[in-house]
Amino acid sequence: MNNLWGDRAWLAAVTIGVIAMSALPFVANDYLVGTGLTLLMWLALTQSWCVLSKMTGYVSLGHVVFYGLGAYLMVVTWQQLPFVVVILAAGVLAALFAALVGLPVLRVRGPYFVILTFGLAELVKFSIMAAESASGTASRILFGTPDLVVVYFSMFALALLATGLLTWVSRSRFGHGLRSLRENEEAAETLGVPVVRFKLIAFVLSAAIPGMVGAVMALRSTYFVVGGVFDPMISITVIAMAILGGGDNAKGPVLGVVFLFLIQELLWANAPLLYMIILGAILITFVLLLPNGLVGLAGARTRRREARAVEARP
Amino acid sequence: MSALLSVRGLGKRFGGLTALHDVSFAVGAGEIVGVMGANGAGKTTLFSLIAGNSRPSAGTIEFDGAPVVGLRPDQICRRGVARTFQIVKPFPSLTVLENLRTGAMFGHAQLRRRADADAASLQVLEEVGLASFAERLASSLTLSGQKRLEIARCVATGARLLLLDEVMAGLTPTEVGQMLTTLRHLQASRGLTLLVIEHVMRALMELCGRIVVLHHGELIAEGTPAQIGDNEKVLSVYFGAHA
Repeated sequence: MNNLWGDRAWLAAVTIGVIAMSALPFVANDYLVGTGLTLLMWLALTQSWCVLSKMTGYVSLGHVVFYGLGAYLMVVTWQQLPFVVVILAAGVLAALFAALVGLPVLRVRGPYFVILTFGLAELVKFSIMAAESASGTASRILFGTPDLVVVYFSMFALALLATGLLTWVSRSRFGHGLRSLRENEEAAETLGVPVVRFKLIAFVLSAAIPGMVGAVMALRSTYFVVGGVFDPMISITVIAMAILGGGDNAKGPVLGVVFLFLIQELLWANAPLLYMIILGAILITFVLLLPNGLVGLAGARTRRREARAVEARP
Repeated sequence: MSALLSVRGLGKRFGGLTALHDVSFAVGAGEIVGVMGANGAGKTTLFSLIAGNSRPSAGTIEFDGAPVVGLRPDQICRRGVARTFQIVKPFPSLTVLENLRTGAMFGHAQLRRRADADAASLQVLEEVGLASFAERLASSLTLSGQKRLEIARCVATGARLLLLDEVMAGLTPTEVGQMLTTLRHLQASRGLTLLVIEHVMRALMELCGRIVVLHHGELIAEGTPAQIGDNEKVLSVYFGAHA
């Protein structure tokens, strides 16, 4: 493929991105490192969300529940276990939770699945809130958290893991099965795709990473309130980034996250009231005019250029 | 001829409605058997039971000597049974080739490597006349094309028994003729067994060696097309009591 957004260009962009983000903590101040950390967090969350929602068409509005569970595990186990162990355990906890609720939750689809996942996240949030209140805890503070650079590289590893996971899924036989069931579940099943098993595996894979991301971000914020780590805006922002990026491979989230993150950074400080209005307008524009997101836009430009090249041939 | 598919005492109730009652018949390997019946006779329900989309209330289904009742549709497909749908269900935003790739990778053939699956799929597309559409989106095909795509997808699974649900409905007479040629070719070249639901009588009579007739969920006749054409019970159902 010789288009600008082809495999070679993608590989080059990823390589440059990895080098730049690896160098950031050594050349930038803490503010910029923190900004890079947030960018990597959104990347990991969006890539992992796409493993389920973009690949299968099951749009989850409850991705934050895994993030929140991971953060909560880090907070309640802080200074009792090595934080690396807790990060991994957070991934296992989120995956186990997904496996537990997956079978009943994945029986419904479309708007019912959206509402159900949102409700599930809220249920967990208020259950933990009740448990915290019962123990007399309104919030928690973490002392002695690791250095920002350690937190940064932990998140960097998770972003790479999530990108690698979606890249593998989108190119694999498993991913082809997920795409087929997204298109028509009944037809896919009668062609041999084990739809229930595949959906559950995708759900579990999609859940493990936000669990670990939540655990890492608890180390960054050091201040824990239940409402903060289970904030539905986290799920909504992830969906917005995935819609803006488009596609069902790892390229879309990269474009969507960078695009929305830049808008956030530019507008949030300068025009906070305008930010939400502009974000809304951008999302409406993308849904109506660019349903395949930035990936689709890049693809359309390439196809037009190739069509002109064909027409120009003698 | 040994029976590839054997259905015995099959029944299906939806609450108070009996869709199928005590249906028994067998299909030999390599046969083309038609299923006739008015709307609501239970034809598509019969396919759904054989393919595992629905569970029977009574009776047994054996494919290649082994029971398949209770298996999931994907498990039955891997055994070698594939079905089309009365209302076509292509994967619209995947290409024609990708539609077939699903069948080749996950069906009876289990061609897990993409290159193997695509090579087999392209071969099937050649045979059904869709090779030049391989890279087109399935949604861009005409109804006739989408019906061919569904058949091709089933063949790509490597199935031995194809359940074809009204694959000629809505086609022009020319397209029906082409479809008959394609089906005969597929059956002969791949040794497929076909169970065919069809309302296009000319097609059913030309294509099938044997026909079973369902009426209100019961099997009322079975025989060659000529025998079915002369069967008083069938004529009575189709044309009234004094036909």
